[in-house]
Amino acid sequence: MYKAIRSESFAAWAFMAPGLLFLAVFTFWPIIYGIPLSLTDYSVITETHFVGLDNFTRAFQDHNFLISLWNSLVYVLVVPVIQIISILMAILVNSRIPGVKMFRAAYYIPVVTSMVAVALIWSWLLGNNGVVNYLLLKVGILSEQVSWLSTSSTALYVLMFITMWKGLGYYMMLYLAGLQGIPADLYEAARVDGAGPLRLIIHVTLPLLRPHILFCTVISVMGAVRVFDEVYILTKGGPGTSTLTSSVYIFQKGLEQFNFGYASALGLIVSVMVAALSVLVFRLNRRGGVNTY
Amino acid sequence: MTTNRKGFTVSLLLVVMMSMLLAACGGNDNTAGTPSPGSTGETGTEAGKPVTLEFWTIALQPTFNDYFNELIAKYESSHPGVKVEWKDYPYDAISQRLLTSTASGKSPDVVNLNTEFASQLGSKGALLNLSEYLTDEEAKSYFEGIYNSTVLDGKAYALPWYTGTEVLFMNTKLVKEAGLDPANPPQTREELVEWARQVHEKTGVAGYAQQLVSKLFPIDGIPILNEDKTAAAFNTPEAEAMIAQMRDLMAEGVVLKEDAEFSKQIQYFSGEQVAFQLSGPTFINFIKKSAPDVYKNTIAVTLPTGKANLRLSNSMDLVVPQKSKNPEQAVEFAAFITNAENQTAFSKVANTLPSSKASIEDPFFTQSDGSLEAEAKVASSQSLDKATDYMVGVPNAGDINSALARGLQEILMNGADIKETLNAVEKEVNQILNQDS
Repeated sequence: MYKAIRSESFAAWAFMAPGLLFLAVFTFWPIIYGIPLSLTDYSVITETHFVGLDNFTRAFQDHNFLISLWNSLVYVLVVPVIQIISILMAILVNSRIPGVKMFRAAYYIPVVTSMVAVALIWSWLLGNNGVVNYLLLKVGILSEQVSWLSTSSTALYVLMFITMWKGLGYYMMLYLAGLQGIPADLYEAARVDGAGPLRLIIHVTLPLLRPHILFCTVISVMGAVRVFDEVYILTKGGPGTSTLTSSVYIFQKGLEQFNFGYASALGLIVSVMVAALSVLVFRLNRRGGVNTY
Repeated sequence: MTTNRKGFTVSLLLVVMMSMLLAACGGNDNTAGTPSPGSTGETGTEAGKPVTLEFWTIALQPTFNDYFNELIAKYESSHPGVKVEWKDYPYDAISQRLLTSTASGKSPDVVNLNTEFASQLGSKGALLNLSEYLTDEEAKSYFEGIYNSTVLDGKAYALPWYTGTEVLFMNTKLVKEAGLDPANPPQTREELVEWARQVHEKTGVAGYAQQLVSKLFPIDGIPILNEDKTAAAFNTPEAEAMIAQMRDLMAEGVVLKEDAEFSKQIQYFSGEQVAFQLSGPTFINFIKKSAPDVYKNTIAVTLPTGKANLRLSNSMDLVVPQKSKNPEQAVEFAAFITNAENQTAFSKVANTLPSSKASIEDPFFTQSDGSLEAEAKVASSQSLDKATDYMVGVPNAGDINSALARGLQEILMNGADIKETLNAVEKEVNQILNQDS
């Protein structure tokens, strides 16, 4: 018995080894290496000096960094919206309506499309003379053109919308997998007790989807705080600092201005923030009366 | 039992990682090579030791392969023992490549960079001070304004190479519709604004689009930094007036209310949403492809000057990284590439402008066959004596540019208060100047 377990665990480790090795080199190692780097003025091209906690004190006095943290936190508002809509979409595509497979595929297409392509398409749609302005002017919602991505009051929310639009299909698929794991007899029993469609969702579907909701919310929070691609491609953090998110600012400080030591310190601060948010999500999810799995 | 095994595995992983960490900390060689200065006389290699120079350019292959292969062959034959390896990278990739090569201890010897990036690296001490290697005659062979753009604290960190100055492109159809005469183009910024206003009133089209970048200050004679480059100097009533005027022009619709990157500017001009375009001659290639009809109606004239009465050049430079293992040969090769003869030849094949004074006397830069390309070339080459890179000797140019651009966006796009924003940006720029990192 013991031998069997040992050989089984050996096989498991063997299967995981390639992936773990990859993670160790490209994820764990940079994270660990970031800690000593954050205490230096490392810039690759010049001599490195130990600066102690200077980078961290500088970070909390750095007006732009604080703005970028705030913008990243605002970005997290996308999380509940994305979860609610993707659960509803999953429930819809889980039904037996004819042509439902086409909808599943259609919702999933943005997920597999490259973010660069998505960003470029949206930049055309949202341009001054883009389709969005044209339609809104036609139906009379707007009285004049809006530069969606160049106006501080709209740019961040437009980016959040694009992030949401691209991510919906991904979370929908995860929830769909969860839905298909819910035994049909639970619904039957609830129906026998007189539950309508809304009650079924509230009392059967959502409680049984809890592990999925927890997982999706955690990765979605992490994704929102670390959002980079769409922001960098479409606005580079502008206009001004309206859409400057922490990842974009870290990128600019490190890879554009060669302050790798400082950028590492900023990265660590953001990592701690993401970890704290993730813990918070776990905590919030523990509350409530339904047993988790 | 399983818990113990798990614990053991985790501990083992941690030990492995920590040992990797310590190994990497120990193996970080950051001692910059300190070359012995000398002149760039035509020498071979020391004691006949063969030397391989790694020469990097930005986006010149395969278009100019013939020119460079010939040039390199010529150099190698006159410098026995020196071999040049030419590599070319896209514009976006060169900084990353330079960082990774430097980090791995394999620095290139001669690198093509733009002025902003060269200043940024120069102020971080990553580039060789070329003043120690160049003769007076060599240093004076370049246009002063362009050569001085990468001089920091009296040290020249780059040799100017090919350059471009902006010209004014005009959509004659729209200009004529507005009742203006393209044959008498505007000479000053004020006149250009008046023209743009009239175009906007008569045709509904905006005057021009522009990117909100720091060069808007020097165009109007507002210095970005003080004389000795130790503090910000742009927070002045003149700057407030310049920005307020820009804000009003955007509100009127005379200038497009947008921070328009070059690609956006191409779209606006191609789509006849603006009548003017202020940019270098390369703009023609894009218009020719994207809007042939607009191209037919476009003329190029000398760029109207602002209050400073100067025109800005946008130069490419050659630098020698501090960590080059062959500094003397590298400087010599960079001087060879940028000498008057070779710059003239390159301008002819690449349709760029030279930064060497002697080149500009060639008929190629004074005679026009009437085509838009030739008009733009002649118009821009006439500006070279007034040309200066706007980031003249600005340390950490990239950081300062970003700060100024963000400030301009805050005011012009987000409606922030001019004075408050200028105060904040001034503080930020002074912080950048006071930081070593």
